Amino acid sequence: MAYKNGEVQRAAKQLKTRFAKLDDKSSIRRAPELTALYKRLKIIPPDQRASFGKDVNQLKAEVEGWVGAAREPRVELNPIDVTAPFDINSPPPALLPAKSGSRHPISIELQTVLNIYSRMGFTAVESPELDDDYHMFKSLNFPEGHPARDDYDSFVTDEGYLAPAHTSTMQNRVLRAGKKELEAGKAIRVVIPGRVFRNEDVDATHEHTFYQLEGVYVDRGINAGHLIATLKTFLEEFYEQALEVKTQPFYFPFTEPSFEFAMSCPFCRKKGCAVCKFTGWMEILGCGMIHPNVLAEAKIDPARYTGFAWGGGIDRLVMMKYGIEDIRHFHSGSLKFLRQFR
Amino acid sequence: MKVSVNWVKQFTDIELPIDKLVEKIGAQLGAVEEVIDIGKRYQGIIVARVITSDRHPNSDKLTVCKIDDGGVVKKVSRDTQGYAQVVCGAPNVEIGMLTAWIPPGVTVPSTFDKEPLVIEAKEIRGVVSHGMLASPKELGFGGDHSGLLAIDEDIIPGTSFTKAYKLDDHIIDIENKMFTHRPDLFGMLGIAREISGIQNTAFHSPSWYLNPKLIDAQSTTAQLNLQVKNDLPRLVPRFCALSIANVSVGPSPVWLQSYLMRVGIRPVNNVVDLTNFVMYETGQPLHAYDYDKLAGGSLVIRYPKEGEGLTVLGGKNLSLHKGTIIIADAVKAVGLGGVMGGAGTEVDDDTKNIVLECANFDMNAVRNAAMEYGLFTDAATRFTKNQSPLQNPAVITKAAEDILRLAGGNLASPLIDDKSKLPQLQRINTSSDFVNLRLGLKLSSAQMAALLNNVEVETKPSGSKFSSNVPFWRTDLAIPEDIVEEIGRLYGYDHLPQELPPRDLTPAKLDPSISFKSRVRRTLSSAGANEVLTYSFVHESLLKKVGQDPKNAYHIRNALSPDLQYYRLSIIPSLLEKVQPNIRAGFGEFALFEIGKEHFKGATDRDGLPKELDRIAVVVASKDAKPGAPYFAARKICDYLLDELGIGGVFYEPIDRQKTSKTATYYDSDRTALITVNGQKIGRVGEFKQSVSSALKLPRYCAGFALHSNKLVNLSSPPSYQSINRFPSLDQDLCLRSTTKLTYAALLEFLKKQLDKASAKHGYGFDIFPLDIFQRPKDKSYKQTTWRIRLWHPGRTLTTAEVNELIDQLSKEAKNRLKAARV
Repeated sequence: MAYKNGEVQRAAKQLKTRFAKLDDKSSIRRAPELTALYKRLKIIPPDQRASFGKDVNQLKAEVEGWVGAAREPRVELNPIDVTAPFDINSPPPALLPAKSGSRHPISIELQTVLNIYSRMGFTAVESPELDDDYHMFKSLNFPEGHPARDDYDSFVTDEGYLAPAHTSTMQNRVLRAGKKELEAGKAIRVVIPGRVFRNEDVDATHEHTFYQLEGVYVDRGINAGHLIATLKTFLEEFYEQALEVKTQPFYFPFTEPSFEFAMSCPFCRKKGCAVCKFTGWMEILGCGMIHPNVLAEAKIDPARYTGFAWGGGIDRLVMMKYGIEDIRHFHSGSLKFLRQFR
Repeated sequence: MKVSVNWVKQFTDIELPIDKLVEKIGAQLGAVEEVIDIGKRYQGIIVARVITSDRHPNSDKLTVCKIDDGGVVKKVSRDTQGYAQVVCGAPNVEIGMLTAWIPPGVTVPSTFDKEPLVIEAKEIRGVVSHGMLASPKELGFGGDHSGLLAIDEDIIPGTSFTKAYKLDDHIIDIENKMFTHRPDLFGMLGIAREISGIQNTAFHSPSWYLNPKLIDAQSTTAQLNLQVKNDLPRLVPRFCALSIANVSVGPSPVWLQSYLMRVGIRPVNNVVDLTNFVMYETGQPLHAYDYDKLAGGSLVIRYPKEGEGLTVLGGKNLSLHKGTIIIADAVKAVGLGGVMGGAGTEVDDDTKNIVLECANFDMNAVRNAAMEYGLFTDAATRFTKNQSPLQNPAVITKAAEDILRLAGGNLASPLIDDKSKLPQLQRINTSSDFVNLRLGLKLSSAQMAALLNNVEVETKPSGSKFSSNVPFWRTDLAIPEDIVEEIGRLYGYDHLPQELPPRDLTPAKLDPSISFKSRVRRTLSSAGANEVLTYSFVHESLLKKVGQDPKNAYHIRNALSPDLQYYRLSIIPSLLEKVQPNIRAGFGEFALFEIGKEHFKGATDRDGLPKELDRIAVVVASKDAKPGAPYFAARKICDYLLDELGIGGVFYEPIDRQKTSKTATYYDSDRTALITVNGQKIGRVGEFKQSVSSALKLPRYCAGFALHSNKLVNLSSPPSYQSINRFPSLDQDLCLRSTTKLTYAALLEFLKKQLDKASAKHGYGFDIFPLDIFQRPKDKSYKQTTWRIRLWHPGRTLTTAEVNELIDQLSKEAKNRLKAARV
């Protein structure tokens, strides 16, 4: 394009040369030639300003055109027949080789975990990713404004819905759903996998998005010894070896008594290694006897029925099993990571 | 909660070695985060007396001292009288004083955990100094570095510093979270009680705690008029205060400083230190005000006035919010109730008269204040655990007596005890059966009573039943299950019998949705696709890049990162974001998939909660172009998946451009199909708009599809069987030239209909599939589709003649009805 003003004409030529060399084409908008013209526009005598301004604006539009053209090479595509299985004059597309496929390590391990629990008699049901205060706190014996709520840095939507910080959001639901069968003499045995969220910064060992598995068992005569034995049985099946377990007293509003549950390190058999930080033990989950208020909230009579519940992270299980050093790999979407898990 | 073992020993005996004690605390009280052996820090430090102190020949500020250590330190050079020579820079050094000597070869305690500084004998300006005399700071007793630690007790020189101050101690740091419901465990007294209990021995609280001889209002001649006015009795159920006149404020004795140091409290002065000391004994926070700085000699508990502010200890200025509990004098705010005192009424070295406060604040109100003002103080930590309002008179009496003893002065007001309705002491009735059933134990009620009585939960068994009186400091005990927890813990959970629950043989039901997704995962990975997990939350810019309206997405109001502003409306955009990074990482061709949930604002479920849509999403990409449009590569995977899942009757229909989707905004409508199964919409497959492509830097060869997982579950069927044909089948190819506009599906449907007719008439079985679609570059309005038709008869061998006749008939119909000529 030709410009009346020589200054603009020269700038246009320089810009064109510059543009050809640029990697990031849109950065041409900040080119010194353009900046110089804008500055010049402010100080130019009023009688010349109109025609100079017009030229500058035209040049600007031209440059925008270059950027647009570079960004979107509007390819004219042949129309396709979407009802056909392959394109005109083309061979039918082939699938990628099966060996390049992979499942996410969290899915793989979760499936293993669910299979074991299924064999132990537990049904499975998923937890939601968007829930309300009732299921996150109230039904779990967290009174309004209770300081124990501070331990869960929950994401909250404008409407007041919560991104669940634990899979316990399902406790009330599975208890209510199982009440009828329970009263007909069938125990409630459910495990609940789910994606959970904590509003915290991400680093090699912290994620705002992670995976948990919750378990609930309610029947007549269920006691804390049953809880410890159930978890031990699962862990021994999962790690395919005999393990020692121990509990530490803990506090959760929704269980009483509450425990932190630890197992002897399955990787070094208690000798001490990097995974267990040379202690021989690993704390892996929280658990306890379901609080009577939680049972009562689901209309189950705590005088007749007792039960236990537990919840633990899946991510750490997977990280320990494969020696994954950085939790951020899980959501990276990187094929370098994913294709290692067939 | 940092616990000093020697401090605890003032209340109870501990026979166990430290490692066994820590193990027992972990198993029966709460997880131990750390154990610090502080005795190690003070190893080798000796109490010494300064015998002479002379000016250093080459310095104005330094002195050269001879010190007496009773000759206990070996390998140090001494003068003829047996004294060691130390160069000292402290202004307060004087002949006859006792202080702490760090001899050569010993580490400076304050450097112990960082870069240990080991003192050596060395020349300082020409004079040899054998070790150093230590300041409180160097000993780890707070920040005072202005002079030497002046030992204020008559200790024989040569005594080890550790022995003199019981520093052969361990600090056991127990996780606070365990004590969320246990206010009593934020004091050494409460910890001692539990340690006694888990050692199976009876604990006896000191009488000043259980049966205090309260400071008698009658016995004091009120010299300082003190008034308390409580406008917030519901939030501050109890407020105890008294005044003390003529105190001497100064540094605390070394023993007191040494105790505060162990639990991480910086010594300030004797009055403030004692309030902290008593708090660490009982869990009950206290506060001391300078009486002369309180206008009107009064304390008012009220809400802030409009625009009122407060400068708290440490200098932070707060503008007070509506609803905050404040303590005020007649004019101004002087403290943030239950959290922190004000700087203006601080007790300092010039203070003569003080007011001591020992109050009870509502836990939720304190929690809100701590969070609103970002002040997470020791007091707030304790009040948020629900401190008992029944211990205040005992605690304030203890603190007042300690202050009178260490700081002098006299009681100058009666003990003011402003209280509203206080909680009644509870009694919990339960039975050994109730407890045993929940723990799996076989303990008698007498055994249970013994465990409870050890921790002063007074319990009397009668038969299998027993009733327990809840002591006033246990605000957590209310229901029989609380007693179950106590007994289990005190007995030891590790002693519970570990038996699996009895279970019938009913097989566990499989969740159809979970097993289905697992099947999808296997199928897609066998098609060479890679499963990814991406976040459920997205940045607003991603929604905009793909043309979605953020108004339709749930907005997160408190996300720390802008990357997590919205719940995603669909999964495809999250997958598209992962395409370019993988291409850059050197992957030329790949398919990504994710099975996840989508949320659309406004859509609700039966229970009124946001509806969650289970979705299977797949994206294929190739850095380099490939023959054919990428649409067909995506569709190929979709076909494979649906086929493997046993889903038949699948149709791909051009989409109706009038019906725009609010979520699937990223598809190029000319190159996208709606996927239906028997008329039911199950998803879309397509290529992406060029705007989306360029915004996400996608390669040209990129397409994807998404399916409703919930709908597919019900459509999926197991493989079906057809009896094997005994007679050979015959293949015949048919090539038809038709207009390009005639869709593949229309042509196929027509041919199938014709074949169906013939099949019905002659009993044929048939199969038809495409071999090739050809178009001459110069003739784009026509195409040639080649079909292979396979025919058989279940009862006989077909002849070529009859097959040819059928194909001829088919061609004729195609020509007449569709103007599709056989080539």
